[in-house]
Amino acid sequence: MSGVTPSSRAVLQFEQVTFGYGRIPVLREVSLSVREREFVAIVGANGSGKSTLMQLGLGLLRPTHGTVRLFGQDVPAFRDWGKVGYVPQRAVAGAALPISVEEVVRTGLAGRLGLLRRPGRPERDRIEHVLDLLGLAGVRRRRVTLLSGGQQQRALIARALVTAPRLLVLDEPTTGVDAQARSVLRESLEHLVHAEGVAVVYVSHDPEGFAGLADRVLEVRAGRVVDAGVHDHPHLEDEHLEFRGPATHEEEG
Amino acid sequence: MRALSFTFMQQALVACLLIAAVAPLVGTFIVQRGQSLVGDGMGHVAFAGVGLAFLVGVHPIVGALTLTVLAGLTLYRLQRGGLGGDLALALIFYGGIALGFLFASRSESGPTTVLGLLFGSPLNLSWGQVVTIAALAVLIVLVVAALYGPLVAMAFDEPAARVSGVPTDGLVLALTMLIALVVVGGMSTIDPLLVSAMMVVPVAAAAQVASSYRGTLVGASAIGAFSAVTGLLTAFYADLTPGSTIVLTAIGVYGLLNVVRMAGTRLGARTT
Repeated sequence: MSGVTPSSRAVLQFEQVTFGYGRIPVLREVSLSVREREFVAIVGANGSGKSTLMQLGLGLLRPTHGTVRLFGQDVPAFRDWGKVGYVPQRAVAGAALPISVEEVVRTGLAGRLGLLRRPGRPERDRIEHVLDLLGLAGVRRRRVTLLSGGQQQRALIARALVTAPRLLVLDEPTTGVDAQARSVLRESLEHLVHAEGVAVVYVSHDPEGFAGLADRVLEVRAGRVVDAGVHDHPHLEDEHLEFRGPATHEEEG
Repeated sequence: MRALSFTFMQQALVACLLIAAVAPLVGTFIVQRGQSLVGDGMGHVAFAGVGLAFLVGVHPIVGALTLTVLAGLTLYRLQRGGLGGDLALALIFYGGIALGFLFASRSESGPTTVLGLLFGSPLNLSWGQVVTIAALAVLIVLVVAALYGPLVAMAFDEPAARVSGVPTDGLVLALTMLIALVVVGGMSTIDPLLVSAMMVVPVAAAAQVASSYRGTLVGASAIGAFSAVTGLLTAFYADLTPGSTIVLTAIGVYGLLNVVRMAGTRLGARTT
């Protein structure tokens, strides 16, 4: 359904990754792979380490042992960040100063534009595209903190999509979002996966947000990542689960 | 206007206007990052710098600039080294006071002279000092303009900015250096402790009515400039301390815009 084929390349890979905060171990020997056009949900209890897992994947944390790769390249050497979109948890809540929806989206281009360069025609067109895609064109000049939780979340997704990424990572995207907004969010994600072919990693404790969308569901439990099943895509189970290491053994055992 | 017929008032007006207009440009980023008191910490380091300058016999500006830049680097290292909350800032803050008194007590001039310079007055400037302040203000505007996009991205959401490829470590360092420049630039005009207020209060005032980041930045700069002119003229005619009247004017503008915002919210609620 999401277009994953056996030849799809890995966009995100963990190989025997171990991580801890000081002496407190959080993740142990995690190996997993997310492929092009794949929708992978990561679940787990609060404090299980699922957000830590994603921060390792994005280079925001460095593993104690093991290797993390983005698009086949070790994360410390990875430079093509325009290929990656990231929607952190509740980022808008921390906005002390007014910032408009369009400005939020524009910040997604800061890394690509670098110093001094202003957005040119292609960048402005892309901003228009993502604002339309996420249904935010009508509120582009509004202060983002005055919008509903769902609109705020869509503004952050629009920011993550403005560079046309091939991998989108969302951390608890439905936290503080009402039912109607969740439905709009689902539609937006559905479009991204099916029409734009973006690989999605969806970190959440709420299965409602990804039910029917996820090709695979992984659970972070006791420092391991275990397979929690394939939702609505049973045909993918044998071919495409590239889930290795102790987690698989634990599941099998 | 009688006040502007005096050369010392012309010099004070230009210097205060420039510093009060550029301080909020840097302030928007530190307020958004939840570090509103960082300028205050740097101000205390400037005190130590002035004390050191008296001790070794160099110009106070040189001493203040050297120590604030060093403090900026230390603050950066401490925060990046994982010192949580506002502990890094507290260390800089108290270290600045302790060193300031230590240096001042060892110098021939004594703490009173050092404090007198620290709480400088814009009414004692020379045109040479005004030109130095103007050059500093131009430098700050150019750096903020060059780094504007990445700075907004980092201030709003640092992890997301890092993932989008923004060099956040370098930007934090650049921002810390900008704060040091504002503090030193404001040392002899508004005074280093009150100039910290000018980095924050006009930003808080503009945020009451703005709906965008750029609007807040421009509005805060305008409020800073307005506060400088109004505060300075008030000080002249009422025979008050210019630094205090400038900051109190900015706080007055904050109060006024806060009332405007609340009235607007109530009116909006009634009409819907």
